[in-house]
Amino acid sequence: MPATASEPRGVREYLLAFADDEHLMGQQHTEWIGVAPFLEEDLAFSSIGQDELGHAALLYELILDLEGTEPTDTAVDSLAFGRPSEGYRCCHLVEFTTRDWAEALVRHWIYDTFEEMRWRLVAGSSRPQLAAIARKALQEEAFHRRHADALLDKLLASPEARERILEAFETVGPLAGGLCEPVVGEAEVIDEGVAAASTGSLLEPLQQAIGQRFGYWDSIGSPAADSQDGRTVRSADFEPLLARMREVLDYDPEAVW
Amino acid sequence: MARSWSTMEDFEAFLDGGGLVEVDDDMPQPYRQAVFSFIEMHANSELMGGLTERDWIPKTPGLRHKMAVLAKTQDEIGHGHLLYMVAADLGVKTRAQMLEDLFAGRSRFHNVFHYRAVTWGDQVAIAFLVDAAALISQQAVFKNCSYGPYKRILLRIIAEEGFHMRLGEDRMMRIAEGTGPQRRMFQESLDRWFWPALQLFGPDSKPDDVLLRWHIKSERNEVLRDRWVQKFVPMLQSYGFTIPAPELSYDAEARRWDVGPIDWEPLERTLAQGGPDSARRIREAADNWSRTSWVRAAMSNGTAA
Repeated sequence: MPATASEPRGVREYLLAFADDEHLMGQQHTEWIGVAPFLEEDLAFSSIGQDELGHAALLYELILDLEGTEPTDTAVDSLAFGRPSEGYRCCHLVEFTTRDWAEALVRHWIYDTFEEMRWRLVAGSSRPQLAAIARKALQEEAFHRRHADALLDKLLASPEARERILEAFETVGPLAGGLCEPVVGEAEVIDEGVAAASTGSLLEPLQQAIGQRFGYWDSIGSPAADSQDGRTVRSADFEPLLARMREVLDYDPEAVW
Repeated sequence: MARSWSTMEDFEAFLDGGGLVEVDDDMPQPYRQAVFSFIEMHANSELMGGLTERDWIPKTPGLRHKMAVLAKTQDEIGHGHLLYMVAADLGVKTRAQMLEDLFAGRSRFHNVFHYRAVTWGDQVAIAFLVDAAALISQQAVFKNCSYGPYKRILLRIIAEEGFHMRLGEDRMMRIAEGTGPQRRMFQESLDRWFWPALQLFGPDSKPDDVLLRWHIKSERNEVLRDRWVQKFVPMLQSYGFTIPAPELSYDAEARRWDVGPIDWEPLERTLAQGGPDSARRIREAADNWSRTSWVRAAMSNGTAA
């Protein structure tokens, strides 16, 4: 489909939420390089982080393309880093500052479990570029899921580690519902055939998957409990995170690095 | 099939003839220890280098740029991973013992990673100057390395380090052609990192250096250091940066740069774990290691499968 400036606003919002989630998730993985329990895990987190940032870059490019803007690296970075905080559409799960590796692992599992479902919804998208990105991403997400599952299989079977993982889940789990929160105007996304079903339709399968993995889902509550308001409200962790991401860029706004 | 040598003279003749020692060989104990210590320090340095860079990865300016920097750090830690396995196969220490020793401050890593990267310019200076110094050293080890498993791993490491140096060079060039604040930032980084990078090669090799005699190293420290100076001094100057060496001189006839006297005291401090950032670096690595001990305990627990 050729680039068009008349893409419905809901489609842009939808893609932006998708891209921002991937961007911030990749960003969060960068914080765990070199401090994992094994060198193999340092390598895994850096690899997964690169995949998520790569997905974000492709999605930002798609948004620029739909707007009729040439998707240069500079334009992608301007979209990725240059918005005021109210312009971001990420969910609070990816904004959250994890305090230990158990929380990082639990979030990694929840995020990639959801992510696999979300990419499937756009694998047959009416926007061929998006469908192509989804096919690539789905191959990678399968690895991410397998990685997180293999670790949790072991850790949840060991009493002390199980306690730590479930404690981390108590903190991170309640943010999972926010992943399934749609943006304003998502109905257009379905009408246009961009996605096969609404983001909200993923809540039940995500709850089931989490229930099977961690043994319970009760503490998570409904997505509305976490007030993202169509993903337009940022959590307390977001501003410091954005400032950290922008530190070098803000050093000299004229500079190309 | 494992080989053995009845005397050190036979073994050294084998090495002098270009022989490659393999892990199953019955190598003389002093050689085993020397190769092990050399590879252990290399492994430690790859890991600590990754930790030096990690402070700035989350702040990398740009999405694809961040992917490249992540890939670089992944390579560095990956090199550490491979090298620890090669070192562990020598049977002197296990990988866990090497890591425990590193985090307890009982084993060494290269001088440059006892310093802190305080600006983004430092990150670029490390990727450019330090990776280039490491590359020159590793190429020289690879050329005539007598320990087969190390030589084979170095082939891959050198290929990747070449990538890193080019990434650093590309970023340095962007800065050189960039704005005033960018150039000032990098000049300050150069002021901080020029001498530590140069000292990475170490003082002049001693005449009886066993690493040279046993073909673990193939060239003298001063030769390698000079190679770096002759390449990077003119290159940095051509981009308009100032070399922070007050006695820098150029011999037009010999067409050689001389950086003047080298103060080795900072290097000696780092070797005694007393560099500017040694304490924090080792303490944080040790803290992180101990905070995740529960994961290692669970993963090694036979009943947990």
